[in-house]
Amino acid sequence: MTHTNKNDSSSSGYAKTDVKIIGFGNKYRSDDGIGIRVVEELRKLDSFRNIDIIDGGTSGTDLIFLVKDCSKIIIIDAIDAGQNVDDVVNIQISDVEEFIKRDYKSLSIHDLNLADILKLIKALKINADISIIGVKPKKMDFGDRLSPEIEEKIPEIISLVKKEAGV
Amino acid sequence: MANNLNIEVSPLSRVEGHGDLIINVKDKKIEKLMFRIPESPRFFEAMLVGRKYDEPSHITSRICGICSVAHTCASIKATEKALGIKPSEQTINLRKLIYHHENVQSNVLHVYFLAAPDFFGVGSVIPLVETYPEVVNIALRTKKMANDIVRIIGGRAVHPIRTVIGGFTKLPTEEEMIKMKEMLLASYPDLEKSLEILRTLKIPEFERKTEYISISDTIDYALYDGNIKSTDGWEIDDQNYLDKMKEKVVKYSTAKHCWVKGNVFMVGALARFNNNYQKLTDNAKKYAEELGLKAPCHNTFMNNIAQFVEIVHSIDDSIRLIDKILEDGLDEGKAMTDIKPGAGRGVGVVEAPRGLLIHDYTYNDKGRVEKANLIIPTGMNYANIEKDMHALVPTILDKSEDEIRLTCEMLIRAYDPCISCSTHFLKVKLINR
Repeated sequence: MTHTNKNDSSSSGYAKTDVKIIGFGNKYRSDDGIGIRVVEELRKLDSFRNIDIIDGGTSGTDLIFLVKDCSKIIIIDAIDAGQNVDDVVNIQISDVEEFIKRDYKSLSIHDLNLADILKLIKALKINADISIIGVKPKKMDFGDRLSPEIEEKIPEIISLVKKEAGV
Repeated sequence: MANNLNIEVSPLSRVEGHGDLIINVKDKKIEKLMFRIPESPRFFEAMLVGRKYDEPSHITSRICGICSVAHTCASIKATEKALGIKPSEQTINLRKLIYHHENVQSNVLHVYFLAAPDFFGVGSVIPLVETYPEVVNIALRTKKMANDIVRIIGGRAVHPIRTVIGGFTKLPTEEEMIKMKEMLLASYPDLEKSLEILRTLKIPEFERKTEYISISDTIDYALYDGNIKSTDGWEIDDQNYLDKMKEKVVKYSTAKHCWVKGNVFMVGALARFNNNYQKLTDNAKKYAEELGLKAPCHNTFMNNIAQFVEIVHSIDDSIRLIDKILEDGLDEGKAMTDIKPGAGRGVGVVEAPRGLLIHDYTYNDKGRVEKANLIIPTGMNYANIEKDMHALVPTILDKSEDEIRLTCEMLIRAYDPCISCSTHFLKVKLINR
């Protein structure tokens, strides 16, 4: 685990914990809401009671502040890493260049895209231990329900989050 | 000099969402010019129908991660008007305070991260970390301050949960109010440094007179509440917006275009500045003057400067609001107002960072939404963007194709379009028949 610069916590307001979990996405755009749905499920689990779990909506730039405040961050998102639809992936962002080269796409964030945010984190020399756990969505149309195939993946995603968070 | 030109920028970078620009010039004449939105339509309006009165603000807050406070407040105001709810002065002051900081969050993101790279001649904000680290650090510090204020008041840095119909489910503490004031006071050196940097930028010369529309108030530089006002000299009660504004579907875009009495118009920071300059704080006026921004200004590129001036105003006015709230004393008894669901229609009009935002709801006697109409600022600007392009392109045909392309992209980016927000309309199938 890489330890991060912890100098900037004075006014963050977030509890300083080793691990933060953030779900990105829009829960009214069908499978794009997977990150938010998983966050809602994690909040019900006793084992995650002492971990900061954040509903990040679709505001991606704020990831920079979260990364500065913790040792490890786990992102849950709808993501296209070239896998099959409804396949779950767990990507370790130890090498931002690799992430960018492979043209992985976070499908939720729409201010700066995830690749740009990761490049910015790297350029700012913030050491970040980031995992992105995601599933390739089947549909992102209007709607407040996940596709059944994506809904079925929630337990698998939670297992991966548990493993990454060490709980 | 280019006699013929074919430009297709797809997708435009550094705008929120996905939009395409197509320009065809033949023998120095524009044959085709389109700003096209191919994003999938979003059906938030339809989704609201049947919902209980306390749901729309939370649902519409999710339309956008950049202007979720604006959608929340427009939605709350529409519902409160429909149900005859009058929130306390404390609630209104706290809403104005949280509102300022979404405007700061959004304006910082646009001025420093999305528009600044154009002026520094780089493709994105990333190279600025090396060449202009101060720009990036100021942006991050200011955005974090605004995030923290939105989170303290709204319970989250985005999609606020404590800001509800009738008031606030939880009030900030006095200590938190004092802490916010300290954070705001600490931000002034960054504003001064930003001023030095922005003074060095070369803003493209361009002028096209158009109508500027925003809300306006007798006391405030209106963001949260006011009448709808035009630089063409008219002003109407916000409940009567349909007397002036008409939406229209265009075939090539999934976003509706918007007209006022047949005219295109501009909304956003420059429109607010042109209508409400006199209501800015003296400090914000000083910054505007230093940066050569005078009302009325008809250069769309100056929208970025107006956004920065608004950051200064929001910080100044937030300190005034905090002092007022502390002087009056935070009162739990005024946190919420009683709600009695019933039938009625209400319109909520606010200034989202990108301009006028209208939510119009009709409730049935069970307090459920029967009809909803949302008019989004970027949707209002589309037609004006195309008119600007028609005026701009002939004046830059002597430049290289790359320069023309960049200047056109810069002009669109100057509007800070939020395309994800604006692709919402319901009548696609009707057009395709």
